Amino acid sequence: MTAVLTADAVSFSYGREPAIDSVSLSIEPGEFVALVGPNGSGKTTLLRVLLGLVRPQRGTVTVLGEDPRELRDRGRVGYVPQRHRLDPELPVTVAELVATGRLARRGWWRRFNTEDHEAIDHAIDAVALSGVRKRPVAELSGGQQQRVMIARALASNPDLLVLDEPVAGVDAESQRLVRDSLGHIVRELAAAVLLVSHELGAVADDLDRVIVLKRSVLFDGPPDELAARGVSLGIHASDLPLWLEDLG
Amino acid sequence: MGLPLPWPFERDYMQLALVVGLVIGTCAPLVGAFLVQKQMALMGEGIGHLAFAGVAAGLLLSISPLWTALGVAVVGALLVEWLRGRGKASGDLALALFFYGGIAAGAVFASRAAAEGISVNVMPYLFGSILTVSPEDVWVVAAIGTLIVACTLVAGRALLSVVLDDGAARVAGIPVDGLNALLAILTAVTIVAATRIVGVLLIAALMVLPVASSRLIARSFRTTIVGAAGIGALSTVIGLAAARMWGLAPGGAIVLVATGIFAIVAGITGTTRAGFSLPSHH
Ligand SMILES: Nc1ncnc2c1ncn2[C@@H]1O[C@H](COP(=O)(O)OP(=O)(O)O)[C@@H](O)[C@H]1O
Ligand SMILES: [Mg+2]
Repeated sequence: MTAVLTADAVSFSYGREPAIDSVSLSIEPGEFVALVGPNGSGKTTLLRVLLGLVRPQRGTVTVLGEDPRELRDRGRVGYVPQRHRLDPELPVTVAELVATGRLARRGWWRRFNTEDHEAIDHAIDAVALSGVRKRPVAELSGGQQQRVMIARALASNPDLLVLDEPVAGVDAESQRLVRDSLGHIVRELAAAVLLVSHELGAVADDLDRVIVLKRSVLFDGPPDELAARGVSLGIHASDLPLWLEDLG
Repeated sequence: MGLPLPWPFERDYMQLALVVGLVIGTCAPLVGAFLVQKQMALMGEGIGHLAFAGVAAGLLLSISPLWTALGVAVVGALLVEWLRGRGKASGDLALALFFYGGIAAGAVFASRAAAEGISVNVMPYLFGSILTVSPEDVWVVAAIGTLIVACTLVAGRALLSVVLDDGAARVAGIPVDGLNALLAILTAVTIVAATRIVGVLLIAALMVLPVASSRLIARSFRTTIVGAAGIGALSTVIGLAAARMWGLAPGGAIVLVATGIFAIVAGITGTTRAGFSLPSHH
């Protein structure tokens, strides 16, 4: 099987200093990979390059075998951007917001059919929000809103799901629910998942691989190998810089 | 038109105004809903000022002012969108540029026309008039209304996704730049269509106020849009009746009704929800 995602010696800089420097990685179908690194280490930038939102100055990226900027079948990639505030005064329901994620599969100008509506409902189920599907998103808790964003990405039945810190800044109970949903998605949909996260304790069992990034890749391998280097996966954001020094 | 309608809509000219008003009242908030959500509520205002320059240029050149207004408004709207999209200017600054440039150019053209002895009455274009709607206008406005409703039906969900989060929309393959341009064009077209009845200075209010009212009650995006269109249509009918009754500029009357509806809705919903805020203008 061909990789769903590859990066080959990719570099990108906003100014003079590179934000990511000669990063190479590859993700196989159905793999669950975590991308970790301290704040400002280039995780979000790398995701934006991988998704074709910005063009790398050097190196090449492929998504599902194609240049991400020319990808034809957009529905095969789901993206949950780093948490951004939803306008609290926008009356949009859970179902309406999740439905926008289906446009990638159906074509933005087409009417939805039964299959689309089922996929939308299924995505809402997968993040355990069926009870609030008609509620305005603004009335939900931060953690619930984050699950809505994940459901939106799931609605197109992606083969590759990319999440940028989906549990940062939400309460512990919501973090647990998000992780449970992710584990469920990985097993049920067989989608490859690239998860950016500070804290990996609760997903460690499901993870196939961990990539540690600090401008370039410091570590890429299975979680137990990382643990064997004396790094616990329960580490929190504030501890990261310390143990990264050990890896370097 | 000769429809058997009761006073104040029994006269032909009032019926023409009513038809055009209903189309505008319904469609302006449809476009406005997306502008408000993009925090571009003032887009309509800026484009309205530009349309005024177009009107004055038409008067000066003795071309139908509505066509020159349409040309200037569409080009201006696309330029504003382009500047904003490139991050060359913040939305606010890009708009301010057009605001002042438009009104200044309008003043220069209109005074030049007057100096050349062309009879210039800009008042109806600024604040609307119920006497100037011609049967041809009805057809043009009906066509524009159909276009706006069709675009909202076909592209509404995609526009919502752009408004929500344009990074995710781009990854989903939605033509974000194209849809932003479409919205800019629809804004320009709506403004020009509304020139006869509401006038270029007040049309932005008709795009925004019904949306502001509707957002206070609605619990979904769909009901927000439908509610805003309904409130816009209602404001127009009441405003036109008042204009006839008391000999008012219809633009002013319609917008005052829309303002009144907002005040009432805000009062009833006890809204200090987020501090009695109109859609924010950034
Ligand atoms: N839009 C931008 N313009 C300029 N510099 C940026 C921009 N976005 C991020 N950076 C810089 O690039 C580096 C990597 O940032 P980012 O990819 O957001 O890291 P992370 O997601 O790991 O926190 C940081 O030094 C950050 O300040
Ligand atoms: Mg980040």
